[in-house]
Amino acid sequence: MTAKSYDLCPAVERVRLNSEVRDDMTFMAGGQGGDGSLTVVALVSRALLRRGFHIYRTNNIASRIKGGHAAAFMRASSQPRSNLADKIDLLIAFDIEAVEKASKMLADDAVVILDKSRGALPPGLIPDNAMLLPVPFSRIAVRDMRRDLFKNCMGFGLMGRVLGLSDEEIEECLRAQFKKLSKARFEPNLLALREGQSIADGAGIDEENSVFTLPPQKKTDERIFISGNHATAMGFLAAGGRFFAGYPITPATDIMNFLNRHSHAVGGVVMQAEDELAAINLAIGAALTGVRAMTASSGPGIALMQESIGHCGSAEIPLVIVDCQRSGPSTGMPTKPEQSDINMLTRGGNGDYPRIVLAPGSVAESFEFGVLATNLARRAQCPVILALDAICHDSFTTPKFDLSNVTIDDGKRLTEKETEKLEAYKRYRLTEDGISPWAVPGTPNGMNLVTGNERDEWGRVSTDPGVRVKMMDKRSRKIENVRPNLPKGHEWGDDSARTGILCVGILEGVITESVERLAADGFCFHCHRPRTLWPVLEDTIEFVNSHERVYVVEQSEGAQLAALLRSEGAQGDKIISILKYDGLQFTVSELVASLRREEDSR
Amino acid sequence: MTKTYSTGLPIWCAGCGHFGVKNALQYAMNAAGVELHETLVLAGIGCSGTVQNNIGAYGYHSMHGRVVPTAIGASLANPNITVIAAAGDGDGYAIGGGHLVHALKHNPNILYIVMNNGVYGLTKGQDSPTQEESSAAPDECAFDAMMLGLAIQSTTFLARAITSRSDQMNELMLRGLEHARAGRGMAFIEILSPCVTYNDTYPEWLNRAHDVDPDPDYDNGDRGKAFGRMFQLVQEGRIPVGLIYYGEQASLQSALVGDMSPFDSLNEHHEKAARKHLGAVLDSYSV
Repeated sequence: MTAKSYDLCPAVERVRLNSEVRDDMTFMAGGQGGDGSLTVVALVSRALLRRGFHIYRTNNIASRIKGGHAAAFMRASSQPRSNLADKIDLLIAFDIEAVEKASKMLADDAVVILDKSRGALPPGLIPDNAMLLPVPFSRIAVRDMRRDLFKNCMGFGLMGRVLGLSDEEIEECLRAQFKKLSKARFEPNLLALREGQSIADGAGIDEENSVFTLPPQKKTDERIFISGNHATAMGFLAAGGRFFAGYPITPATDIMNFLNRHSHAVGGVVMQAEDELAAINLAIGAALTGVRAMTASSGPGIALMQESIGHCGSAEIPLVIVDCQRSGPSTGMPTKPEQSDINMLTRGGNGDYPRIVLAPGSVAESFEFGVLATNLARRAQCPVILALDAICHDSFTTPKFDLSNVTIDDGKRLTEKETEKLEAYKRYRLTEDGISPWAVPGTPNGMNLVTGNERDEWGRVSTDPGVRVKMMDKRSRKIENVRPNLPKGHEWGDDSARTGILCVGILEGVITESVERLAADGFCFHCHRPRTLWPVLEDTIEFVNSHERVYVVEQSEGAQLAALLRSEGAQGDKIISILKYDGLQFTVSELVASLRREEDSR
Repeated sequence: MTKTYSTGLPIWCAGCGHFGVKNALQYAMNAAGVELHETLVLAGIGCSGTVQNNIGAYGYHSMHGRVVPTAIGASLANPNITVIAAAGDGDGYAIGGGHLVHALKHNPNILYIVMNNGVYGLTKGQDSPTQEESSAAPDECAFDAMMLGLAIQSTTFLARAITSRSDQMNELMLRGLEHARAGRGMAFIEILSPCVTYNDTYPEWLNRAHDVDPDPDYDNGDRGKAFGRMFQLVQEGRIPVGLIYYGEQASLQSALVGDMSPFDSLNEHHEKAARKHLGAVLDSYSV
């Protein structure tokens, strides 16, 4: 195949080839599911990761195997960010629908690379000053290479030119991305890449004349690029987690996939169950033997697991449960983010039982809390829930996790020798801290009864009122005992400000950037992100009560976080909710506008 | 010697079939030389769900319907212990019915006993899936777990016993226990264990029982033939008992647990090696 630049080179509109220097760019690739939008963004992120940029990557996909509008987004910046910028600087669209979806988000000077095989661009969809590069990628791919999919490598070739990436860099990225392909299957991708580059050359966008320049960034730390799901699963394994059972569900399945790949080598077992009820009970079975166990699901699956979570609380079984939250209620919007499982996670289940709910706000914390949850479950012998949000499926650059810092806490697990020395062994012995020494099957002299019914110290079912109260109080004490070890809230911003902002999880990023922007206009905010959702810690309540007013920003129609704070002692009249439940992430501009409107009205 | 919980007396009504089941289980554990501390007995909810309290081994009282997945999880995590699950017909075939199908398919190394009496005893006598004379739906046929087990081609040990014939029950229990302990997969034994209070079927069931063990027309090593004969017997109103099917098939453990079980991997030496491996995994995310 040779470059055919004559009839294919795009009629570039509003050419700018001044190699403008950028250190913060947002990208979007969009089309139908299966078009390869995710691949294009993966390729570009590889290139910019190599240049030392911080990357935040997210997807907007339909809940189907192929088809439906699918888009991948990426922000490359010199500062670490965990949200997209307001405007898209570079769009590659494999159909008109992708341009329509991106239309309102396009920067005034955006570059739009369009696959015009499915028709010309209707007027008015892109800003007047945007640079348009219309190329019939799909037609060329089918005509010359007999396969539509090669259009994405072609698009990447053209993008590389726009971004001023060298031929060498681009090819290396392609090789790394497709390293599992045989040479014969890889080769056409490389040809497609070259074709994309020659199309660019034909339009005058060549190695010397690019639209943008992205100067290599100074990288001072050792970095990884990872999603919250993978980071959490890694934390679990690092803390000695060796049994996982799950049932496929978006967006939690990736945890099971990760563990399937990596846990066998360390003696772990992963089992795909027939449903969520089986999944959590398989994990409970493993936990009974003293093995550190975990399950993961999303809202609908966690709802099914409620009885079992309460059972772990009652029967004093250590278990880690990960909830990768998505839009509810019911099946809701499976691929869209939300933070609306807070009620269920902190209050769900019948009866009163001890539990701990942690909410990481970054991939680094996802790893850290994966470790912490595994150890805490062991230590307090109760269910520990990790409430992930969009962090679970989004990918971020972060300093490499330090495995040497990970310690494994075995809690009050009894050895054979310790058990042998006891005069009597009672599984549910009443202790000052509420935590009873634990002997697991296989330990001589440790035979005991474990039950979710109320029971006496021996584990024998009992409804004696005195026993009942003692046992309830004992279980309750466990949480008080570990409370000092629970992660307190993260605070940042202006600590003298009278106005506060409070959020959980991934929202720290978008709030940080919004506050930076508002500071330029003289608005001061003090920010707080609780990292433990249950029990609600004093510092979080204190934060609300010590400010004049606090904006509680959350992705839930029912303002579940605000309700939780109120119920635990926060002064309700100080809370102003800013809510989002349209299935999209908050953007800086909308948050800035909301905060401004609220502040101006005071 | 450390004192552990006292096994106490069962809660069952005088004459309940479950006494016989418990005795058969204890007979089998003794005969197989199973140590109490190496045994985990898991039971569900209902009258059957108290049997673990009277054995003296490690006991676990599961949630209603979930005893099978819990038992599988335990057996995968520590293959060195003997795992025995017990349920009733409501627990095992109604609320936990879905798990039975998959357990039969997976063939895990556990002994699973279902005490079938046709009713929900503890909640005062409602029909269970095995009730043959349901007043609410008289035309429905009763659920037959042995026929289901035969239909799933990875089952390895299917048996039905009746408490009135304790010798056969004891023998099947022992064989089943040895089957699971030898790593051959799941021994599934349904025991007809009449409820004297709500469904006293002792004389009727004994009368209808047809022992397939000495039956020259019955081949428990041939799934197709066994199914045909079972079907015929059921049509004739008989209740087939004995070793219904015996075969060989890889167990779930052989598929999922490698050289090192999750339990075995929990020591300092292995943790060090694991840390090294995880370091390499982490490196694959480096940029």
